[in-house]
Amino acid sequence: MMDESIQTVWNEAQTRANEAYTAQRRRITVDPITRLEGHGKIDIFLNEQGEVERAYFQVPELRGFEVFSLGRPAEDMPQITSRICGVCPTAHHMASTKALDDLYRVEPPSPAKKIRELVYNTFMLEDHALHVYVLGGPDFIVGPDAPPEMRNVLGVIQTVGIDIGKRVISTRRRLREFIAYLGGKVVHPVLGLPGGVAKGIAPEDLPRFQQLAKDGLEFALFTLQVFKDVVLKNPAYMDLITSDTYTHRTYYMGLVDEQNRVNFYDGKIRVVSPEGKEYAKFTAQQYLDYVAEHVEPWSYVKFCYLKGVGWKGFTDGAESGIYSVAPLARLNASDGMATPEAQKAYEEFFNAFGQKPVHHTLANHWARVIEMVYAAERINELINDPEITSQNLRVIPTATPTVGMGVVEAPRGTLFHHYETDENGILRKVNLIVATQNNSARMAMSVEKAAKGLIHGGEVSEGLLNKVEMAFRAYDPCHACATHSLPGQMPLVLSIYNARGEVIHQQRR
Amino acid sequence: MNERKARTLVLALGNDLLGDDGVGLEAARRIAGQVDGSVDVMESGEAGLALLELLEGYERALLIDSIVTGRYPPGTVLEFSPNDFRQVIAPSPHYAGLPEVLEMARRLNLAFPQDIRILAMEVQNPYEFRIGFSEPVQEALPRLVQRALQILNAQTAPPQNAACVGTSNVT
Repeated sequence: MMDESIQTVWNEAQTRANEAYTAQRRRITVDPITRLEGHGKIDIFLNEQGEVERAYFQVPELRGFEVFSLGRPAEDMPQITSRICGVCPTAHHMASTKALDDLYRVEPPSPAKKIRELVYNTFMLEDHALHVYVLGGPDFIVGPDAPPEMRNVLGVIQTVGIDIGKRVISTRRRLREFIAYLGGKVVHPVLGLPGGVAKGIAPEDLPRFQQLAKDGLEFALFTLQVFKDVVLKNPAYMDLITSDTYTHRTYYMGLVDEQNRVNFYDGKIRVVSPEGKEYAKFTAQQYLDYVAEHVEPWSYVKFCYLKGVGWKGFTDGAESGIYSVAPLARLNASDGMATPEAQKAYEEFFNAFGQKPVHHTLANHWARVIEMVYAAERINELINDPEITSQNLRVIPTATPTVGMGVVEAPRGTLFHHYETDENGILRKVNLIVATQNNSARMAMSVEKAAKGLIHGGEVSEGLLNKVEMAFRAYDPCHACATHSLPGQMPLVLSIYNARGEVIHQQRR
Repeated sequence: MNERKARTLVLALGNDLLGDDGVGLEAARRIAGQVDGSVDVMESGEAGLALLELLEGYERALLIDSIVTGRYPPGTVLEFSPNDFRQVIAPSPHYAGLPEVLEMARRLNLAFPQDIRILAMEVQNPYEFRIGFSEPVQEALPRLVQRALQILNAQTAPPQNAACVGTSNVT
């Protein structure tokens, strides 16, 4: 919706900022002490008036994955990709397994699909729980204005109580033990095979998993209640969630079933416009017709956008192809939830905001809790399914492989795997679009918007780093920190440059 | 809560698809053949809360990891106690690192190792997918294994002076 003159100014500013950035980067890179690659970086460039011209958010990148994979057998990919990162191994494993089904043109038997979906929902539940209580939750459960030393998992325990802390730990452990029962190690799952799964559930083990499913649902409903009590009853939080700083009117993408209800494991990819109208609905195999990638010189991350709408820069609205994935996007892109308690929570969510889609990034936290309820209910449905102990778990593939694509909803959003092989199944092409990449353009906008709201006339407001961090933490971005090099957390450096490209302010954590 | 047979855990952290990042895992595989049933050897690619689940129930633990400080030549073996991290790392809401895990275990009153040591090798490039180690890391690997075995022997021996080792303790 920008007219041409504004677009020109925008592009010029972008070019200038990119040049300044490149110059700065060159300077920083030669400094032997600053390990640029190991840091998350936020660089904010001011103009002559001290207002924010551009803000950049960079994450460390793991390089060379595609090159590493080429020449290997495609069957290795569920194991290899699940080791890309310790954060969402099961998501990669499942997307990869589905890509192999497609590659070998083989349809798994119904019990095998149910086992996969069961494991997948178990993973979603434990991973979302981790985010709610440990990663993103502290902003809310403890409070965004709490002192930094309280804004962590310890503050959460202090707020919700020790017993609940113990419950979080023990529920997550039991869920993970269940994943391990079917898939071996949580981090290196060996469950998925083209055409099925490697292992089923023994009938004698069923009762304890049925009990786990019940407890998991109780835990999810309890979490929803905690969220309502702590966050939703506090008007200051709702003001923060709905504030303009954290609002972008973009497209939304998510996997849906035949009735357009949220599904994490299977279905079609649906995209809705900023007005909430269906823009597209397509299969994994069609993703290249809809998704394109934009490259910026200052970032390793490629910015995904909708091909049909086009790349119009870092701007929102129906004219801009930027879209978003992850819990809020999934709720926005669907017509409802497939299970009763989750559906109730879904309706309550949209009623509370009085609009659909909801454009407030921080509403992701609430959407995540609703998805926990769905995952838990779906686990209950599947574990009580008469077929779930069936040993009909595999169809052996016979077709000659060529191209295969698979998609799942990872906790952080839509995840695409695309493989091409020779007739022996040796990889010749690999393309992964990970959830965080789908979100990267909107995330960059969020960081920039937060910076613009908090820096004026060269003056930096108190708490800038945390407010900017809150913007991207809501997406639960995976920083691809598969490296567990000590101390095990991503250092973040925020630098502010004046119009001459000199650093005038720096914060680290 | 957990029933453990062994009392000591060797926990290697890393990703063997990321070159030097896997050095701890390789060290653990070499250590596994040289310890008795009182020691469990585990590998993990995870961090944060998962560590809590793995460490729970042991009396002693030795963590083996890679580290990028940029202050030592690659291949340098560094020794830490959890306190070293407590001092240098501000609590982060985003990643529950080792200090947070330990503090959490304390507050939740979990059965947790009282004696935790950390051995970390300074590595070169843990950000690129490849199998195999850089030369200095490959050369230093036996030193890492040897130092780990020394610590294990001392840990399982009757308690002596439990002095806290810091970053200055470089092998």
